[in-house]
Amino acid sequence: MSFKIESFDAETVVVTIGKTLDFRNADEFKNACQEQVDSGRQNFILDFSDTGILDSTGLGSIFSLYRKVSPSNGQVVFASISRPVQVVVQLTRTYKVFRQFPSVSAAAEALSTAAQA
Amino acid sequence: MTDYSILVVEDERTLRRLLEYRLRKHYNVRSVANGIEALNSVANSIPDLIISDIMMPKMDGYALQSELQKNLNTRTIPFIFLTAKADDNSRLKGMRTGVDDYITKPFDLEQLLSRIDRLLERTRLFQTQLEGKIGEDFSKRLMPKRMPHVEGYEVSYINEPREHGGGDLFDWTEPVPGQYFFTVGDVMGKGIQAKFYAFTFQSYVRGTLHTMLAPNISPAEVLHNVNTVLLDDEVMEDTFASLLLIRWDVRNHSITYANAGHCRPFLVSPNKCQLIEKSDLILGLDPHATFQDHTVEIEPGSGVLAYTDGLIEQHSKDGSMIGEDGLQEILADLDSSSDLPARLMQATLERSRSNVLDDDLLAFWLKRF
Repeated sequence: MSFKIESFDAETVVVTIGKTLDFRNADEFKNACQEQVDSGRQNFILDFSDTGILDSTGLGSIFSLYRKVSPSNGQVVFASISRPVQVVVQLTRTYKVFRQFPSVSAAAEALSTAAQA
Repeated sequence: MTDYSILVVEDERTLRRLLEYRLRKHYNVRSVANGIEALNSVANSIPDLIISDIMMPKMDGYALQSELQKNLNTRTIPFIFLTAKADDNSRLKGMRTGVDDYITKPFDLEQLLSRIDRLLERTRLFQTQLEGKIGEDFSKRLMPKRMPHVEGYEVSYINEPREHGGGDLFDWTEPVPGQYFFTVGDVMGKGIQAKFYAFTFQSYVRGTLHTMLAPNISPAEVLHNVNTVLLDDEVMEDTFASLLLIRWDVRNHSITYANAGHCRPFLVSPNKCQLIEKSDLILGLDPHATFQDHTVEIEPGSGVLAYTDGLIEQHSKDGSMIGEDGLQEILADLDSSSDLPARLMQATLERSRSNVLDDDLLAFWLKRF
């Protein structure tokens, strides 16, 4: 309910994370993404513009998504990261896995260029 | 709170639809027309509560209730009889079979709703208490009972588990004399599930260390092995953990560590306090992740502090999280002459907006005199 998911193209969706991704809604996030994976999407742009809270359970649900799409070369990228999210990403060294972009459109552009290359 | 599921068993179609319609606003509702259908529905998925008529074709309410009593998984489902039989005999018979409540038709819907709420609340409370007990037991097992005693050093830790906290773990072993291995970690997730995975995970780390028994074990190599196991094992699927492995060489007065996305430790000296920066990716995420060893000398009067995220994610008075910067400030002001973990917790609470910890807290302290 709290996750807005928009199609970008046949393979890519943009998920707006909203204010919070934590132990309370991590399952909801997982299920929402699973539906997208089942319908063939493999690139996920996560929009963190409004996100104030990302706890370890929330981050875990993003990791699960990554584990699902990475075997088929799918990608999970972060767009417009807020300060609190930046802290968590820094701490867990996950910037090594999730590419970061200043905006959703920059992320989308990078993903579509990669697809053409 | 629409998460509860209720099964309505009622042969009269109009009443069944009415109940379904009214209860649907509050719960997930399934409905069936008799006891046989009810048993099939329960076999598919166990509801949180059953509301059942007594007089029904094929299988009546009494027979349904006694069938449910036979099975360990279904006998604890809260059960309400809803019936037109208002006389005392049937009421007695209804109570005898071990139902939780009994409502006669015509009934007041508000009354039914409040009874449902009361029953569900009681069940939930019972479950929470049980989980609390198991969680406490796990928390204890995830921490060592004693610490090593080494001349010229203080080795101590403090652990404050919260009932709904996460999967903090701490362990140590001495694979060869004079070399100690400390494991500080946090398995992602909350509550009893995280503690269970932390427990399993701790056994993996122990097992891995045992198979590598030799002098100068590389912490990075252990991390690499644990990461591989975590990614290959289906039982541990979707388990992610941060882990800090420290090998302490007593004779050289040094530590060699590898850090898989865990909170970065501090080197605390009498006149300065610095972050031990180098770290790698969290475990369970990437099969190609690489890990590196780093060595830090421990000068006389200095110590190493390792901890879990409960410490830096504690909210300070202004509502922001304490963070690494905040922790560094606290440490710089702290008297590190003895029992630093307890002093640290005290100082952290003084900065906090509440006088309790938000999450599990674990701090480990290794100091050279």
